[in-house]
Amino acid sequence: MNKIVKLFITSISAITLALVSFTSSFAKVDGEYIVLGSAISLTGKYSSNGVHTQNGYNMAVDRINKMGGVKVGGKSYKFEIIYYDDESNPKRAAQLAERLIKQDGVHYMLGPYSSGLTKAIAPVTEKYKIPMVEANGASRSLFTKGYKYLFAVLSPANQYLEVAIDLAVEKNGGKPVRIAQAFEQDAFSQDVRLGILDAAKRTGSEIIIDDKLPKELNDMAATLAKVKATKPDVLVVSGHTKGALTAIRQISEMKVDVPMLAMTHCDAAKLSKQHGKNSEYALCASQWHKNLSYKDKFFGSGKKYDKDFKKEFGYAPPYQSAESSAALLVFKDAFERANSFDRDKVRDALVDTEMQTFYGNIKFGPGGQNVAKPMILFQVRCKGDTCENKVVAPTKWASDKFYHPIPKWSERG
Amino acid sequence: MNALKQKDLILYSGLIILGLAAPFLFSAFKVQLTYLCVLIVLAMTWNLQGGEMGYNSFGNILFYGLGMYLTSSVQVGMFFPLAEWTESGGEKTFVHTTAQYFQGIGVGLLVAAIIPTIVAGAIGYAILGLRGHYFAICTLGLGIAAGEIAGGIEIIGAGQGFTTPPFPAEIIDPEARGQFFYFLSFVVLVLAFVFVKYIYGSRFRLILNAIRDNEDKAEAMGIQTMKYKIVGWMCSAFFCGLAGGIMGGLIGYIDSTDVAFDGREMGVFMVLMAILGGKGTLWGPIIGATLFHFLKEGLWTFILGWQYVALGVLIVVIVVYFPEGLMGWLREKYPERFGEVIDEKDRKAQVELK
Repeated sequence: MNKIVKLFITSISAITLALVSFTSSFAKVDGEYIVLGSAISLTGKYSSNGVHTQNGYNMAVDRINKMGGVKVGGKSYKFEIIYYDDESNPKRAAQLAERLIKQDGVHYMLGPYSSGLTKAIAPVTEKYKIPMVEANGASRSLFTKGYKYLFAVLSPANQYLEVAIDLAVEKNGGKPVRIAQAFEQDAFSQDVRLGILDAAKRTGSEIIIDDKLPKELNDMAATLAKVKATKPDVLVVSGHTKGALTAIRQISEMKVDVPMLAMTHCDAAKLSKQHGKNSEYALCASQWHKNLSYKDKFFGSGKKYDKDFKKEFGYAPPYQSAESSAALLVFKDAFERANSFDRDKVRDALVDTEMQTFYGNIKFGPGGQNVAKPMILFQVRCKGDTCENKVVAPTKWASDKFYHPIPKWSERG
Repeated sequence: MNALKQKDLILYSGLIILGLAAPFLFSAFKVQLTYLCVLIVLAMTWNLQGGEMGYNSFGNILFYGLGMYLTSSVQVGMFFPLAEWTESGGEKTFVHTTAQYFQGIGVGLLVAAIIPTIVAGAIGYAILGLRGHYFAICTLGLGIAAGEIAGGIEIIGAGQGFTTPPFPAEIIDPEARGQFFYFLSFVVLVLAFVFVKYIYGSRFRLILNAIRDNEDKAEAMGIQTMKYKIVGWMCSAFFCGLAGGIMGGLIGYIDSTDVAFDGREMGVFMVLMAILGGKGTLWGPIIGATLFHFLKEGLWTFILGWQYVALGVLIVVIVVYFPEGLMGWLREKYPERFGEVIDEKDRKAQVELK
């Protein structure tokens, strides 16, 4: 026993020493680098969108650094990002935020992917008064907590598909419609659901199916069987990338006929590529589309961003990447206007943000959400075997007319 | 005997001083240290079933998650309408005063300790008749079912999750929150250790061991095995509930399947830690949890994206090379250090028999 106790004490003291010497924190600004921190989902259920987010961040960092960096106090600085993998797990994300701030000495944060993880990180950044610009946490409840250091470049989640219900009512001759909906059990999708509930109330529409789907969504056949039996006017599905893929796969397998299908995350799931013709006519909510006419001097237009991104990463950028890139532009702008690295000055500069980026206009409301940019809807349309996303709403940017109703499977070639 | 006690005294007081000084020595690591305390509590109490009683439970996560939801619900519900607090996208904000926050969490933790204990008693009564794999699979189902059920209950936030009350804003020092949760978890750790240590010196442990080694024989000897199995599980549930309550407050956001009933991570980790250190020993789970936490934090940082592969390899290595855990391995190598005397003659005699 004696020796083991000694061994135990020795190892504990060794670890203690190692830790104490390790607790040196890096500076918020390290030489010519401005260090940003981000916990991102590289593994787990959000890994594909996590990577889209990370690519968006990296693309913007490269571009800004190449084009002269960030000018503060007459000197030029470069951006650098410290990443950790949050494993798509809120518990891990909160822990990593602490770690970035306390151990790595990060003073400015970029958001994670998904509302749930942002909800877990926001209390931490708020506590340490760390400004966080996030691009992928859309849940409305994020913006009603009175957070002062949280800034989101995207529109809140409840706005995603509200417009789709209005469209359905319009196509129905202004009469209320019957809605079937199925949402994943997570913060974001449940918020999209709230938006639909509001829209249904407003238009007097009836919700005939209201299903909850499990996380890590792989099967929704039960919901679709009900849809087949009850024939609603519109089917709404939201469940991140997996939800979109599962919905299209099973709708085409089960040949479910529904006049209108509204979804989220179609472009992140690369629906038009993965499912081709089967995904045709799906109506999708998006924060961004390359055809919109916004511009900035770093990425040029949306089309140019699309081209550059494809060259760099080998796939078309989903809006998750675009909004993530925009977050860096916001940070750069704020640093330069604050002309300081003081966290509170940067935060105050963020509050006053009013700018246009290739991704859209950005201006933060009192809760931190972006109030200057509307959501758009696109529809998957195919010519031969190549399918594309065409913007159909709002009318200002619509390149194509909204096709309604979706032809029956028996009539589709 | 006296000398040994003195040595123990030095060891324990050393550890307690280290524990009390830790948050000041490694101020930046407070959150990780809190996690460590919680992990040790979970591993140590899991060991009561898995190690001492031989009932591999994957269901202890149920009590952990229950404790988490209960603490936060009580903390909110005592002062504000719970439904309005968790209403997804609710416009109203409620702010706890400092006194309300601490009263709330105090009462919440009390409830979080008691109710899971009662639940463990009730569930135990129903399922502890199962043995071996059947028990393990059944408890695995418990955790998963609880996660799905919690994800459907609107009053605790359902799929939206539950944001726990923020630390009172009147306490300006940003370090205070970390210190508060660290000391809370440290107190629970000390309580759990004292309790488990007490059990190790009692007849109760011998009964649990008897159940592990041969349950039928134990019953034949007149031990009411069912009663002891249930009581053993209730003891674990008590501490799991407390640990969950602390974690909920620390994380600040409760998600039904990813944070509370997190069987995939916490539920597996507690088993892994106990096995790594050596199940069926007092110090095994503690050493296992500590080692695991350090390894995990290290791996998770240095091989970004591959950490789960590394974890898988680690599990394989543990099972293949240290099936009895580190303590078991040490015990085999240096049996005399564990107070076991080997009769050389006897050992040789046995070898010759073959």
